Amino acid sequence: MEAYSAGPLLELNKAVPSFEDSGLPPVSFSMKLMPGECMIVEARDPSRATMFADLCSGMVELESGQVSFMGLDWANLQDRELNALRGRIGRITRRASWAEFMPTHLGIILQQLHHTTRSLDDLVAEAVRRSESFGLPGVPTVSPSLLSDTDLTRVSCVRAFMGQPHLLLLEDPLEGGSPELYNSFLSSVTEARDRGAGVIWLVRSNAVWQSYRQGITSTWRLADDGLVAVRMA
Amino acid sequence: MSGSQQTGGPNLPSDDEPDLILQTDAHKPAKRIPVHEWIRRKLAWIGRLVRRQARFFLVVLGAGWGVIFESFRSHAWRRTVRYEFVTTMNNIIGGGVSASLFAGMLTGVAAVSQVIYWLGLTGLAKMTGSILVNVVIREIAPILVGILLLGRNGMLSATELGLLTIGGQVRSMQSVGMDPFLMLVLPRTLAFTVAGFTLGILFSMSSLITGYVMSRISGVITNPIWTFLDDVAAAMSVTDYAVIPLKFIMVGFVVGLGGCLTGLTATNEDSLRTLLPRGFSRGMLIVMMVSVLFSLDL
Repeated sequence: MEAYSAGPLLELNKAVPSFEDSGLPPVSFSMKLMPGECMIVEARDPSRATMFADLCSGMVELESGQVSFMGLDWANLQDRELNALRGRIGRITRRASWAEFMPTHLGIILQQLHHTTRSLDDLVAEAVRRSESFGLPGVPTVSPSLLSDTDLTRVSCVRAFMGQPHLLLLEDPLEGGSPELYNSFLSSVTEARDRGAGVIWLVRSNAVWQSYRQGITSTWRLADDGLVAVRMA
Repeated sequence: MSGSQQTGGPNLPSDDEPDLILQTDAHKPAKRIPVHEWIRRKLAWIGRLVRRQARFFLVVLGAGWGVIFESFRSHAWRRTVRYEFVTTMNNIIGGGVSASLFAGMLTGVAAVSQVIYWLGLTGLAKMTGSILVNVVIREIAPILVGILLLGRNGMLSATELGLLTIGGQVRSMQSVGMDPFLMLVLPRTLAFTVAGFTLGILFSMSSLITGYVMSRISGVITNPIWTFLDDVAAAMSVTDYAVIPLKFIMVGFVVGLGGCLTGLTATNEDSLRTLLPRGFSRGMLIVMMVSVLFSLDL
């Protein structure tokens, strides 16, 4: 991946999301995420966290303001450009995201198969390597509904980190997950940041990221009055 | 108790409620709705119904053009799209061959052999080929193949995509740049199109051969099968060579497109209880529409 270094990776510039479209408070959201940074966003309501991640991905209509990713305003892009740009986002979401008619291994590499020309062998090798690093014995080939919640969390992590994405929107996979996921998750986050990816880690409770606090560049809280900066002690 | 009883809700009928007020008290006459108001409400109801149906029709037209347009663009055919196309086509054709052949055989027994028998009996055996082409292959086969496609795979697509839409998986796909139209609607519709043609030809051949075999066994005809098939081929006009395959192709196309769009346009208020009947009725309507349109013009 060529690292992006021409300014903020993601920028919310007085973006007021449409309430009807998102359920987010129609107030101004502003923040900047530089390449290599890791930002914590604390959101008590998981559906609101998902919508905030959608806002960052250009999926939410704006009343005013703008949201830019890699210097490009989502609102000014055509469908094809939008999709290509979103292909550079790795995401772990609490919203249902596994299609039942597709086996899990295909679901893991689907985004890469769609957006890149990397060979299948290469993708499978990366999927196996990442699956093992997240504590799986290999890439699951069964239907996603047959996996346990813990394994589904693991494969969601594998999918999000596949293919060196530029931006990671991670709705906390550690909450309720197994403790052994912790180290592999943090090492994957660190690896991604080292190569210039930006990370937005959406959490419900601030307990999960405390041991990684040295690596956190900023902390925010998603409240009724928008995105509020939280001072770190 | 005053002696009056009123059933139902408050005395303010909404658009969707029947304008019915039951009162037993003779001293309090029922509040009547003026005729013009009643007409206005009925017209509004018809208007809503027409708007809803027309909306789907317009969506089908737009998406149909989109499928044709995108299918000629090389970079629409990414690996994921090719995978979905091949998988769907294998499912439809592989799973539908036996059903189509069997339905063709039944049609052969019920229609083809009867046509041969009665035309032979009335001395109109020369018309056998043209009647078989016009009735069985041109009219019955596309409709029956359409119904088979709709029941076996069209409803499955409507349900699968509907559940993905309601469950949020479609939005999740969009959020990482995978367009559901390109990933699901385009390949599935084209797979249905190819399958419609393939199964239609198999159905037609199966019905003709079964009809011939039945007639031969009962002694109604004595010609060899090649002569019989040659008679049928000779009865086909140049237009038939274009219209019959086109009809099979169109039926597959609209069944696939209708099923996918019914699923993708599902709302949070939908469930299998609403999706399945809607998908089936829409599918039947568009199959019949295609059949009628081709019969009217050509």
